[in-house]
Amino acid sequence: MAKSTKPPKAKKLSAETLIALAAETLKAEIVPGLSPEKRYAAAMIANALDIARREITTADDAALWAILDTAYDDGDGTPAQLATDIRVGKITEATHPGLGAKLRTVLIAELKVRNPRFLRSRGLKI
Amino acid sequence: MTDTLDPKQVRQRTFDPSKTGGLNAWLSQTLGGAVTITAAALLGGGAVQENWRLDVTVDGGPHTGAHAWLMRTDAAQRLALSLDREAEFAVLVAAHAAGVLVAAPIVRCVDASVIGRPFLIQAFVAGQAQARQIVRHPELANFGDRLAGVLGQALAKIHAVTPMDGRLSVLPIPMQSPAKVLVAGLKAALADASQHRPALEYSLAWLDTHAPATPRITLVHGDYRTGNYMLDGTKLAAILDWEFAHWGDPLEDIGWLCARCWRFGNDEQSQEAGGIGSRRAFYEAYQKAGGEKINEQSIAYWEVMAAAKWAVIAILQGDRYLSGGETAIELALTGLMAPEMEFDALDGIAAIDAARAKS
Repeated sequence: MAKSTKPPKAKKLSAETLIALAAETLKAEIVPGLSPEKRYAAAMIANALDIARREITTADDAALWAILDTAYDDGDGTPAQLATDIRVGKITEATHPGLGAKLRTVLIAELKVRNPRFLRSRGLKI
Repeated sequence: MTDTLDPKQVRQRTFDPSKTGGLNAWLSQTLGGAVTITAAALLGGGAVQENWRLDVTVDGGPHTGAHAWLMRTDAAQRLALSLDREAEFAVLVAAHAAGVLVAAPIVRCVDASVIGRPFLIQAFVAGQAQARQIVRHPELANFGDRLAGVLGQALAKIHAVTPMDGRLSVLPIPMQSPAKVLVAGLKAALADASQHRPALEYSLAWLDTHAPATPRITLVHGDYRTGNYMLDGTKLAAILDWEFAHWGDPLEDIGWLCARCWRFGNDEQSQEAGGIGSRRAFYEAYQKAGGEKINEQSIAYWEVMAAAKWAVIAILQGDRYLSGGETAIELALTGLMAPEMEFDALDGIAAIDAARAKS
């Protein structure tokens, strides 16, 4: 059998790596030469890129689904539905003991993506 | 507020500084003296409205002389929770009359044909209002408690204004507990929001159930925090941003200033008031100047309210990124901050509930 002449497959550049490279270049090459006002805009861009990267790598819905699965029949619940049911008093700490603590766990998962530094400032080790 | 922008570099503006004739004429007629705008500079800091510094000369009438004024246009769309410029102007006039340190209100124009949008004009006050600059000031440890005290005294003056004065009929008087009215307003403001968030609803439901009685309804600034006052060096020069003013529970302003979300990372106990000074310095000066009696438990409730209210505002701000413009990314990132305030609200609730269960 003839040996394949196909070149070795290049490793695909992931979205995560691409965003990380962009953020790194921005911080290392662009930010130092900027005026203070532009630096603020650049910091926002870097922050947005970091959030987008963590959205890909770190996003974790498990805590949210743990609440939705106990509050609703499998697969029926959505965060918006849960918000409405809490608003109208259908789902409360009385009907679902530990609700506040569970919602806090959902927030921690969300903040791991959006602002891990905030969690560290609140004494959480992540 | 003192950064000057090049008007050409940003999106289409309402006010065209090369055409001041209409504004000169309107001001001259309204103020009773010949007004000439000699310079106009667009200021940074207005995410949803324009702030212009106007240098003017007035010949004749009560305003004769050369002045620096601040012209603020109405926002294209305002937050559901905020006052329109006309009501805000009435609040400024009342606060100024009560001796509160505000940039003197000069005139209000509701006629959109003068510059393209309604606007108000105040005296221009120079100084530093950037929260992050203030909380990172190298001398903060030396002047923080004094400033916290001055802010306490100023707040007591604001809270001395009550509906009984009859000056501010433009603001609605709450017909039930101000905390309940506030919660209802926050819920209503979320009606068209893109996100419906369970932790925020949980916090709002708790705030409603635990709403305190308000013995004395007063004028509430509604956004009394570091970032919304101007410093001249290390001295207070003016209280800014009155668009959230309302009749309510005076402790709301105290909870807002002391809430963790408004300390800008200065979380040491010595800086819990606004990220600048101690609660003690702030509370003592406030009470000594005639403010409400403060007990820590009541303030803890209002700090949860602060976190929930800021979460609502963040969500509403976030939704505005869709309207584009140079602030789109800032608005979008603000919208993503809601879980930070929700986290603080839930922790505040847990702490209050635990303290109540013990007693």
